[in-house]
Amino acid sequence: MGSQSLTAPPPALPPRATRRRPVSIRGSLRELVQARELTVNLVRRDLKVEHRGTFLGMLWSLATPLLLVALYYVVFKFIIGAHPAVDKPRPDGNDVPFALYFFAGLTVWNLFSNSLSRSTTSVTSSGYLLRKVYLPKAILPLASVLSSLVTFAFEFVVLMVAVLLVVGPPSAQLLWAPAIVAVALVMAYGLALLLSAVNVFLRDTAHFIGILLQLWFWATPVIYSLQFVAKNPGVATLLKLNPMTGVVVSLRNVTLLDRGPELGLLAGDLGFALIALAVGAVVFNRSQRLFAELV
Amino acid sequence: MALSAIACHDVWKSYRVYHEPSHTLKEKVLFRRNRYEEFWALKGIDLEVPVGSTTGIIGANGSGKSTMLKTMARILTPNAGYVEVNGTMASLLELGIGFHPDLTGRENVFLSGSLLGRTRRDVAARYDEIVDLAGIEPFMDVAVKNYSTGMYARLAFAVAVSVEPEILLVDEVLSVGDEDFQMRCYDRISEFKAEGRTIVLVSHAMDSIRSLCDRAVWLEEGALREAGEAHDVVASYLGEVHGGPSGPSEGPSEERRFGSGEALLTDVVLLDGTGRSTSTFRTGEPLVVRMTYAAKEPLPNVLCSASVYRADGLAHLLGQNSRSRGLVLELSGRGVIEFTVPELPLLKGAYVLSVALHDDPVTKIYDWHDRAYSFFVVDNPRLPPEAGMVHVESRWRTWTGDPRAAAAPPAPEVRSAS
Repeated sequence: MGSQSLTAPPPALPPRATRRRPVSIRGSLRELVQARELTVNLVRRDLKVEHRGTFLGMLWSLATPLLLVALYYVVFKFIIGAHPAVDKPRPDGNDVPFALYFFAGLTVWNLFSNSLSRSTTSVTSSGYLLRKVYLPKAILPLASVLSSLVTFAFEFVVLMVAVLLVVGPPSAQLLWAPAIVAVALVMAYGLALLLSAVNVFLRDTAHFIGILLQLWFWATPVIYSLQFVAKNPGVATLLKLNPMTGVVVSLRNVTLLDRGPELGLLAGDLGFALIALAVGAVVFNRSQRLFAELV
Repeated sequence: MALSAIACHDVWKSYRVYHEPSHTLKEKVLFRRNRYEEFWALKGIDLEVPVGSTTGIIGANGSGKSTMLKTMARILTPNAGYVEVNGTMASLLELGIGFHPDLTGRENVFLSGSLLGRTRRDVAARYDEIVDLAGIEPFMDVAVKNYSTGMYARLAFAVAVSVEPEILLVDEVLSVGDEDFQMRCYDRISEFKAEGRTIVLVSHAMDSIRSLCDRAVWLEEGALREAGEAHDVVASYLGEVHGGPSGPSEGPSEERRFGSGEALLTDVVLLDGTGRSTSTFRTGEPLVVRMTYAAKEPLPNVLCSASVYRADGLAHLLGQNSRSRGLVLELSGRGVIEFTVPELPLLKGAYVLSVALHDDPVTKIYDWHDRAYSFFVVDNPRLPPEAGMVHVESRWRTWTGDPRAAAAPPAPEVRSAS
């Protein structure tokens, strides 16, 4: 077999018509499902790297929320001394310490906020992978969201133990919790896709998101209640437009206050979450072909 | 034709070369358009890699080899055209397969395994084999950021081959590591070939390409220059690199040429045994130098001489003139002189040839082309392997008893008896 020259010298101009096989969203979704094990390993990587070199290791995930609850308890009971704004009592009339009231909302807020801050840099910090191997890129923000879910699980366990000890056994309303968390996860993943992709092209995003999350925290009734602002209808309406409001209020209701979720607000949040997911998926999908070159 | 493991269809890939990369908002807003140039790294590559073949990609730096490999690995997405891949694939690019610097070797093995599509259990079953191949057992629980380049490359190679992909893409891995590791690499790649897997490798080491690959692809400035049997493609690549285009010779440059000019060598070509003009030859096969002369006046008693040097000029390997072989020329008008080496004794390497016309006791030089013609010698697969610069016909004998009994040895050969 002799040598064969397969092509003529290169044409001088790049092609005008581009024939490219686009990555379909459905194809990406299939890849995502196939890469389950890889996703698990990436979550494991995130957690390992985070706790690398620490003496307590994964125990920190448990220790941090425990210390936080203790701290809030001391601060609100003995220092601030107030019993502010827990104006929706439990049906059984049990007393709810403000520290737990705050912590109940904080768990799901942390889930959301950690997801966004971790995932925004999830693509840009994975250059070592993207330049070396092919992988379904959408699992990078997914892994960030899921590692935040692991952190959340620890906090949630601490919350429920504290509720059980201090307030009383939870009711069947607790069964709503997975659905509420699911709404938060969908919203977080949708925004994570969007932010992680945008951050590749505009590194300011990572800085911007830190400030935004601070603002967003105070615009969400985590440390105060919806009733607290009810006197001012303008602010109340604004708060209800915040897609995290329904999630936080509902999770607090079902875990701590023995009440049902705010279904109206939650439905709105779900709507927002699905739109965020759709927009995030489209933006991510269209831009991912450039990731390996730009990170 | 058999199914292709990888098929590239009219693949174009460009990079934007930013003069000053801007990734921040300020720059995006202030200078709305980034100043950049489009650099086309691949210009319409059509290429098929048959299943079970070992293909080498060769070319100068910046010719698009690594971009080609990354596009095949689906790490880069082409601007136009597409790449089809049939089979599971592992790639070993720039010595890495995506190790996380903060994780230990052991943890990275499992992470990379799943990146390459293997389950945890699969990797666990092969773990010992991986550690054994990498040969860095004491360091498996050390974070890879503390590894040396060699250790890193060893582990990466071990993981990539141990997940047993159907297609393996390798970029320059063979150039790192010590002798021992390189031997292991060769062995493992040979096993891979024997198992019928497909390998694509990029290398500047033409020896590895020749010994490992059955096919080669030569890229030049992002375009396919030549594809075919590895030996042939490497030969023409080396021919061009070491000898310029192997076509009609353009003659030596001014500083390499001197002489009084009564007679000139107007054209000098190097031919192989079939009379084809080339600059690549094989050990033990003919080398023919055909020179055309033009004499301005009749000149009696002219000698033609030829010398061969190693390309670095440090060794003078051959030097003779036509009289020593029974030819004294009488030049007038135009004519041809041919110098033939029927069995080239030079071994693999780059060489350079001088030719000259001068009178008999070398008092007058008419035209001297000093080290003006480069050529390359490649291994001849028909000859036994041999080190050094020259091929020598030889015999080896052995007997027991009197060392001086060579006159009547119980030698199996009788050739010396005549």
